[in-house]
Formats: sequence, structure tokens, C-alpha cells
Amino acid sequence: MPIIPDGTRFTLPPEWEWRESLRAQLEGLFSSFGYEAVQTPSLEFYNANHPSAAGAFKLTDRDGSVLVLRGEYTTAVSNLVRVAYPNGPWPLRLRYSGSLWNGGRDPELGRAREYSQVGVELLGVSTPLADVELVTLALEALRCVGLPQAALELGHPGFVRAVLGATGVDDQTLERLRRAVDRKDTPGLAALLAAAGVSGAARAAALALPDLFGGPEVLAEAERVATTPEASEALGRLQAVAENLPDRRFLFDLGMARRFDYYTGVTFRAYTPDFGLPLVGGGRYDGPPSARLDAAAIPAAGFAIGLERLMTALDGPPATSAPRAVAVDAELGARLRAAGWRVEAAWTADLTELETYARARGIPFLAQNGRLWSLKSDESLSVQEALDDDADNAGSL
Amino acid sequence: MARGIELLLAAGLPLAALATTRSLRHDFEWVSVLETRNSDVPTYVDLGVADVGIVGEDVILESGRDVFEPLDLNFGRARLSLIRPVGATGRIGRIASKYPRLAARFMEERGQPVDVVRLSGKIELAALTGLADAVVDMVETGRTLRENGLEEVEVILRSSARLIVNRAALKLKAGVLRPIIHRLADLTAETSARSAGEY
Repeated sequence: MPIIPDGTRFTLPPEWEWRESLRAQLEGLFSSFGYEAVQTPSLEFYNANHPSAAGAFKLTDRDGSVLVLRGEYTTAVSNLVRVAYPNGPWPLRLRYSGSLWNGGRDPELGRAREYSQVGVELLGVSTPLADVELVTLALEALRCVGLPQAALELGHPGFVRAVLGATGVDDQTLERLRRAVDRKDTPGLAALLAAAGVSGAARAAALALPDLFGGPEVLAEAERVATTPEASEALGRLQAVAENLPDRRFLFDLGMARRFDYYTGVTFRAYTPDFGLPLVGGGRYDGPPSARLDAAAIPAAGFAIGLERLMTALDGPPATSAPRAVAVDAELGARLRAAGWRVEAAWTADLTELETYARARGIPFLAQNGRLWSLKSDESLSVQEALDDDADNAGSL
Repeated sequence: MARGIELLLAAGLPLAALATTRSLRHDFEWVSVLETRNSDVPTYVDLGVADVGIVGEDVILESGRDVFEPLDLNFGRARLSLIRPVGATGRIGRIASKYPRLAARFMEERGQPVDVVRLSGKIELAALTGLADAVVDMVETGRTLRENGLEEVEVILRSSARLIVNRAALKLKAGVLRPIIHRLADLTAETSARSAGEY
């Protein structure tokens, strides 16, 4: 019997501190853009149409109804908005931070079954500038946690839907085509189109999808390939967003079609060099597409960052420091804590034992009789001397 | 392996024939080649350790890994088939395979749930000895089957070597990878014209 379930883990102090400091940085950034924090319950009602229903961890309630552990924040937050802010005020800027559970994921590198997410939702508005705000904020978020080289990639599932829809195939084939496009499986796509008897411009446009990625120039290329009104509308939207982006370090992939029936507008994800998994996922879901739960259809867009995955992409936790002192003198311990030190209380009066313990843990001072005994230099320092010494060394903690 | 290296070389990568040493990683000018087990190729690519990989479509599908697969390299052609002793007609209750996932899905799609036993090699033996009622395995020429009194009952999928690419790498290293993919497409298109219909 394993001690904890597959895909879950114990979080130890250095990692916990690191994760929470990343969380605080991100939440601080989102807050500075006016996003206010909300929390939704960890327990939700099971709904077979929920986007993460397939991998949900299920529980049974007292009355026999099936509950699930929260598997995704966007739907939960939109439920919260429907109840708490049915009439705005719009635009409404909300942020969230917490744990998610997904039993369907492979418990391996970066794909744990319990993980933490921090994210934002911008609700009630559906302008290109709202999309720009989110993609810019997503990039800024990665910069602020130490990934300045991250690149953001934009797509529009509406474009893929328009191009594949123009082939006139049935829904089942359409889903197969989407999957082939999403995997950039050009040979498979060609075979499916041939089997479905699709030819001419519809075939050419569908076959162009996997290769429509790169810089802003792919938008013009896409315009030449796909000429249906729906396709042009999606491209027009991307164009309007692209024109307002602050720099050209944005990528486009018009074959990005991960969740066809979920996002309705611009979608985006972030990549960082030498890390194979995307770091940010987000997009616009103005509804009311079939799979959405809320018929109310409040326009909304948002993105989320997985903290554990972010930590895997970053180099490793910053070095942590041991407490600064063990206090035999409780009153002095309190004074030092007030000055910002981390100070442990002595659990024994045996100084030899305390000294051995402090040396082993790398704790530099013992606080006793109103003075600080430095284990490094074997000197007795006054509180002021110790604090000065500490300030001198602050850079090298 | 050799054919894969040959193609990459023809596509302009600074490679040479891999030395037959015990090293698992071969470093060239600006590219490194990893020698992994067939079934591990999609894992290395999905998790971004390798940017690209060359592996059979059968292995990609069995792995369930989330990778781009832009090119059919048109070599290593084989069929993944349902195989039974010649003349067997009884109900299939248990299947043995190196491809448990594809085998289970194939039977599920036909509305026949089965037990799937995962084996690592010499799969045909399972059908011969009655360990399983049928096996799902790759068939190239079918000679081994005939010699052992087995026959292909149904072709599940036709496979050939594919070029797979990590999702982030294709975007971030498009400047390097795209020309390689296009050159490989040209190189393999000729082969495919020649060998179409062979399998």
C-alpha cells in the first residue's frame, strides 16, 4: 500500500516556501491590475457536461448525490459570478488561487493529479483590448516570477472550426479532423479528408491549418487560405488583438484547437525555452457553446498558471536559511523576533545539547542572559552588535 | 534507426553514422542524438527532453502522448493486426499484446470487452499455447504467422515511421525545425510515391 495516492505529494518546507512566494508574487501582480480575490468550494456537484468531468475525483454526499473535487476554476468562478454578480458591475476582474484535482492525468513530471493554480477572469466585456490586457498580463506574470524569455502564443478555435466546418463532414469526422489538426498530423488529416471525399478549396484550407504557425505574418497567410465569413471574423479578431500588442514577441498558431467546444474566442498559451510543457493556458469563452454549463452567457476570458509546473520550469528553490537563533532567554527571543529574526525557543536548559543542535542546523546564535553567543566566532555579542552583523551579512543569507 | 539517421543526414543535419559504442547519447555539432527504446521515444519528446523523435505510428498511438506528428517518413511499414490460430472462430475473451491500449480500444469499439494481457515479446506464442484467444501484434510479411499456423483476422491499423515534435519546441525553435521538416517532407514524398500500395 503506498502512503499517499498516486500523483499527490508531500510538500516540504523549502518547496512550500518557494511555492507560496511565487503565489504571492503572482497574486500581487494580479491585484495591482485590479483583480480581486475569490474562492470557490473544493467540493462541487458532479456534472457530466463539465469540461473536466472525465477525470474528476468523485465522492458521495449524505443524500447520495455525487460530488467531485474541483477540477478547474473557470467554470467554478463563472458559477460564483452568476450567483453573486448576476448584473455586474462589468467589467468584473476576479482572481483565484487554490488546489485542483484531476484523476485522469498521468502522475509524472509536471502532470500531478493534485496541483495548485493561480489565475484571473475578466468578465462582462468582450473587446479586443480585453484580450490584449489578459495576454499582456500573462506574459508579465511569467516575467515577474523569473521567466523573461517566455513566449506567448495566440490562436482562435473559431478559425479552426470555420475551416473544418467548410468541409461539410459529419460531427464524428469533424472531431477526428480536429484531433488531427491539433496534433499537426498532416498525413492523418489528408487521409481523413480523402476518406470523407473532401476536395477543392475546403481541402486545401484544412490541409494548410497545421502549418499556419509563426509570427504575425501567418495572419495574412491564413487570410489567403480561408475565405468563409466565420474564418474571416476569427482572423479579424486576432488581427485586432495583434495590432494592440505591445511588442512582436508574440507567436500565433491558427491550428491550435485543443478545446473546440469550450473556448469561443482568442486562446493563448506560454512556452519557455528548454521546457516542453506549456506554462499558461487561457482564452475567451463568451458562450453559449454547447458544452458550457451556464446558459446566461456572460462574456468572459481568463488564464491560469500551474504553480508546480512553473516550479519545474524554473531552476529550483532559492536557498533557504536556518533560523537565526535559539533563545534560552525567552525575553530576548521575543525582542529579536520583533526585529524580524526567526528565532526558535530552547527546548532544554542543557547548553551543550543546544550548541550541538544549533551547529548541526546551521543556526548562528544562541540567545542567553540578554546577549547573543555567536557559534561561528565564539564571541558574546550585544543585541545591537548582532543585528548590525546580521545587516552586514544580509546579502549572503 | 539507420534509415532515420540517413534521412536526417540527407535533410542537412550535421550527423554521421552512429558509432557502435555503448554510449546512449551522440553529440554532434549542434545536435545530439539519443538512443532510446522504441516505446520511450514519445515520452522523451512529450516531456521536452528531445525536440523531435522518429518512431512508428503504432508506438505513438499506444503511448497516448501529446505530441505533434507532422510527417510520415514512409519507411518501417507494418500492420497492427488481430491474429488467431488458423480457423479459430470462438468468442475472444482474452487478448495478449504488446499494445494493450490499442488492443482494448479496438475490441471496445466493436462492443466486445476483453481482458488484455500485456506481454513483452514473442506474442504469437500466447495464441499458440492458449494463453489468449487472440493476439494483437505488428505484422510485416506474415511469414512468422504462417509458419506457426496463425492468420491475420483483421488489420487494426497501418503504421509507418513518423517524425514527432515536441509542442513547445516546434514553436520556439521553428527557425531550425521547420526547414528540416520541409526537407524531410520532400525527401520522403519520393519514397512514398514508389512504395504506395505495397502494404
